[in-house]
Amino acid sequence: MSIAVSTPSGRTRLAVVGALLVLVALVAGVLLGRATASSAPATPSATSAEAGFARDMQTHHAQAVDMAILVREATDDPEVRLLALDILTAQSQQMGQMFAWLVSWGAPQTSTEQPMAWMSRPALDGGHDEHSESHVPGERMPGLATPEQMAALADAEGVEAERLFLELMTEHHIGGVEMAEAVLARTELPLVANLANGMVQLQSKEIDYMRELLEARQ
Amino acid sequence: MRLREWEVCARLAAVPHEAPGSESVSDNENLTVKQQREKRRAEKVAALKKKQQAEKVRNRITVLGSIAAGAGVLSLIIAVVITSATPPVDPSTIEVEGVQEIEGLQATHVQTAVDYDQTPPAGGPHNPAWLNCGIYEEPVPNENAVHSLEHGAVWVTYDPAQLSEDEVGQLRGSVPSTYMIVSPFDGLDAPVYASAWGYQVALDGVDDPRLDDFIVKYRQSPEAPEPGALCSQAVDGPGKIS
Repeated sequence: MSIAVSTPSGRTRLAVVGALLVLVALVAGVLLGRATASSAPATPSATSAEAGFARDMQTHHAQAVDMAILVREATDDPEVRLLALDILTAQSQQMGQMFAWLVSWGAPQTSTEQPMAWMSRPALDGGHDEHSESHVPGERMPGLATPEQMAALADAEGVEAERLFLELMTEHHIGGVEMAEAVLARTELPLVANLANGMVQLQSKEIDYMRELLEARQ
Repeated sequence: MRLREWEVCARLAAVPHEAPGSESVSDNENLTVKQQREKRRAEKVAALKKKQQAEKVRNRITVLGSIAAGAGVLSLIIAVVITSATPPVDPSTIEVEGVQEIEGLQATHVQTAVDYDQTPPAGGPHNPAWLNCGIYEEPVPNENAVHSLEHGAVWVTYDPAQLSEDEVGQLRGSVPSTYMIVSPFDGLDAPVYASAWGYQVALDGVDDPRLDDFIVKYRQSPEAPEPGALCSQAVDGPGKIS
């Protein structure tokens, strides 16, 4: 390039190349600005209530899916089988949503803390609600069936399996609603609040329906 | 590379310098006048060649540089045009004029008939069995269809008295193949309605651009209680054609 500068025609060419480079830099700058200017939504940390909920609710849902599969194999009753299908597909889909949240937040699927640690912390208003007082990190999640109960469901057949499923799933839903309400008191993210609201709304009504079905099977 | 070419030039220039027969070329004083003239001429030729060679190299650099810079600018401009032509669609920014929001809907499961506040319904108590999504040529049971709305489906209802057969065909062909119900609904106060859980819009006809906007905004919306839950494997209504 130093050679080109030494003659007038070289200087002109240098100016042209220089101007083009400046133009490239300007356009690149505009593009970069566009890409980064969009207000980035807050990303919950790996130990946030949102991330804790996303992990624990995946575990919680996974057991509901298991219970639904077990009862569908144990009975021909169309009402219970359809309810189980509803629960197993809806909750599998929600597990996918929560899995993807964690991926997009750069948070691990496995917690470095005890399960339910997020729920034992104060709510957004700074106060301790019933969740933060009643939950000890590491204890069984609310509504989760014990391994013995799951084994009993796996062994049951017919109406006995239906009854056991309805009892266990009712408890499971009550616990699920509790966890969803706890995250609603701890998040401002519409993404999380939407799903948690849907769970509260749905599972509360399914609890009523399961009690009806259970009553009809006593 | 440039340096090497310079060296070649210098060597070329030196060739006539060492002309055959001249035994002591290094000493100017030993040369004849003719030889001195030839030497000066050779030097001039060499200098000219040198200059031409340098110019050639400069030209090549300038051309290549300009091409590279030009290609860079062009690709950036293309990138700008492409990115501006397809802006990301954020459903929350889509405004559907005249959309009605229905609040306080209950997701109760009932086995009985339900008297819905909206015609057609846009959420509320429903049958435990959802209606399998698809195209229907007969009216479908409200209580089943509402359960599908809960699962994130959009239900497009049309009044058969207000649409031609062609228009019905156009409507059926213009919607996505999943999480959609299209069915006739007698006695509507508009030719077409689009409904999702908690949202509804009355449309002027099958060409109303709000139909597409409504579907993009509300189909599988996270605002539905259970988007993504099944819309198949439950019950078919009468007259399911696809």
